[in-house]
Amino acid sequence: MSDHTATMPMHAAADRRMKGLALLVAAAAGASVPLWTGNVPFVLILASQAVIAAIVALSLDLLMGSTGLLSFGHAAWYGFGAYLTGLAAKMLTPEMLLLLPLTVAVTILLSAIIGFVLVRQIGKTFAILTLALGQIMFALVFVMSGITGGEDGLQGIPVPTALGFQIAKPAVWYWLLYGILLASLAGAFHIRRSPLGKSWLAIRENTERARFIGLDTGTLKLLSYVVSASLAALAGGLFALFNGAASPDMLNWFESGKVLMYVVLGGVGTIIGPVIGAAVFTVTEHYVSSVTNSWLIYFGGFFVLIVIVAPGGLFGAGASLWARITTARRGASA
Amino acid sequence: MILEATNITKHFGGLKAVNGVDLRIVPASIHSIIGPNGAGKTTLFNLITGAITPAAGTVMFDGVDITGWSPERLAKIGLARTFQRTSVFRNLSVLENIALAIRSREGLSRSIWQSVRSEEAIAAEAMEILGRVRLRGYENSKAGALAHGYQRALDIAIGLALKPKLILMDEPLAGMSRGDRETVAALITSLRSALGVTIVVVEHDVSMVMRLSDRITVMQHGQVIADAPPAEIRDNEAVRKAYLHGSFAT
Repeated sequence: MSDHTATMPMHAAADRRMKGLALLVAAAAGASVPLWTGNVPFVLILASQAVIAAIVALSLDLLMGSTGLLSFGHAAWYGFGAYLTGLAAKMLTPEMLLLLPLTVAVTILLSAIIGFVLVRQIGKTFAILTLALGQIMFALVFVMSGITGGEDGLQGIPVPTALGFQIAKPAVWYWLLYGILLASLAGAFHIRRSPLGKSWLAIRENTERARFIGLDTGTLKLLSYVVSASLAALAGGLFALFNGAASPDMLNWFESGKVLMYVVLGGVGTIIGPVIGAAVFTVTEHYVSSVTNSWLIYFGGFFVLIVIVAPGGLFGAGASLWARITTARRGASA
Repeated sequence: MILEATNITKHFGGLKAVNGVDLRIVPASIHSIIGPNGAGKTTLFNLITGAITPAAGTVMFDGVDITGWSPERLAKIGLARTFQRTSVFRNLSVLENIALAIRSREGLSRSIWQSVRSEEAIAAEAMEILGRVRLRGYENSKAGALAHGYQRALDIAIGLALKPKLILMDEPLAGMSRGDRETVAALITSLRSALGVTIVVVEHDVSMVMRLSDRITVMQHGQVIADAPPAEIRDNEAVRKAYLHGSFAT
C-alpha cells in the first residue's frame, strides 16, 4: 500500500504533463484553422459556429457537470443573450466591448432572480421548469414581435466594432471567438480546481451530505446557475453579432436539446468533452445534413448508442481507455 | 448540558413518532439511544439534526436554541452527524472528502482563489484526521471504492473534520461484520478520549451499546421509558419488557 501511494505523485505529474501537452497541441490546431481555410470562407464560418456551440456546451457543463442540475432549457439564455445584444446593437451602439458586458450584466441579474426560484426545486422539477423557462422566452419573441421581428428573426444587426474598429473579416471573427472559448475553458478549469468548484462537485455527488457538512447548497447552486446562464448569454451575444441576425429557433426547445446532447455526447462534467462534442457535431451535422434529410435519425441513433455503451461520453470513454492503457503499461514495466 | 431537548414532539398523521421526549446529554460523554423498531429513535435523531422540524418542544445546543435550524447552520456551530446508510462523496478522493468539510468549517467553500499554502495546510490536517480513523494510505482512493467498514470510518472522519462539539451517529454499527463493528466501536471510544467530543449514538446493537456508553436512553412508542447508566438499564424491568415485545436486535 505504502509503496503504491509513494509512486502515485510521480505518475500524476507525468499524466498532468501529458495532458497539458495534449491540450496545447489541440489549442494550437484549433487556432490554425484560418491559416488553411483561407480560400474557403464558408469553412471558416462553419468553424466559427462550432466554436460558439462549444462555448454554449461548456456553459451547460458548468451547471450540469458541476452541481448535477439538469437543464432542458439552456437555449433560453443563449437566445436571450442573442436578442439582448442584437437589440442593444441596433438601438445603442455597435461597440462590442460595451454590448457584451452589458449582456452579461443583465443576464447575471435576471438569471439570479429566476435561478433563485429554480435551484430550490430538485431533480425532475428543476428540469421541467427550465424547459418551461425556455418556452416562455421563445414565446416572448413572438409576443414582442414589434421589436424582435417575430418569426422573421431580428434582422439588421450592425457590424460590430471593438475599440472603434469594425470586426468583419471571417478570420478575425474566428480568432476572437476562439480566444473567448479558450479563456472560458481556462476559467472553467480554474473554477473546477478552486474550493468553489470542489463544493459544486460535492453537491453533484451527495447534496444531503454536502448540507450536513455546512455547505450552503442553495447559494452554491445559484452561483453555478448564474455563471452558466451568463456564459450562454455571452455566446448568444457573440452569435448575434457574428451572424448579423438572431432567430427565434435559437430559443427553441430543440436548440436546448441539441446543447444537452453535445454535453452528454462529449462527457458530462469533463469540461473539455462537451467542447469537443459541440465542435465535432456542429461540423458533422452540416455535412451529414447536406447528404441526407434524415440526419436527425442517425444523430439520434448515435446518441442512444453512446449513452448505452459510453455513459461518460466520448471524452469519458477516451479517458478511461487512456487510463487502462497507461496502467497496463505501468503494470508491465513494474 | 451540551444538548438539551425538552418536550420534543413530532406526529406523522395519527402516528406519534416522537411524543414529549426530554433528552439531556452531558459534555464529552458517549450517550446512546436505543429502542425496538419504530420506537422513534431515528425521528428523534432527525429532529435534533435539522432534517425535520419538531411540531413542539425546544432543542438547546451549547446554550443556543437550535430548534428547527437547517443542517447547514447546525454544522457551522459544531453539531455534526453521520448516516445510517453510509454517506460519503463517492467519486471524490478520500482526501477530498475530508478537505471539503475542512474548507466548509473555515468558510472557504465559495472562494475562487486559494493559495497553495492553505491547500497544503488543509491536506495536512485531512491526513491527520485520516490517521485518527486509520484510513491513511487510502487518501488517493475514490471514496466509493473503499470497503464498507472503511466508508463508515470515512463518514465519521468527515464529521470530525468539522471540529464538532457533538457528533450524532445514526446506527454506526449497522450492516457490518463483527470485526468491523469492533473496529468502529473502538474508534468511537478513542475519539471521545482523544478529542473530548460528545458522541450521541442511535443503535440497534444493544450489547455493543452497553459496553460503549456512559448513559443510555431507551425509547418505546415515541417516548422515553428509561434513561440511566448501562448497568441500571440492564436491570430495568420496563426495558426488558419493551425488548421482549419488540425485536431485540442482539
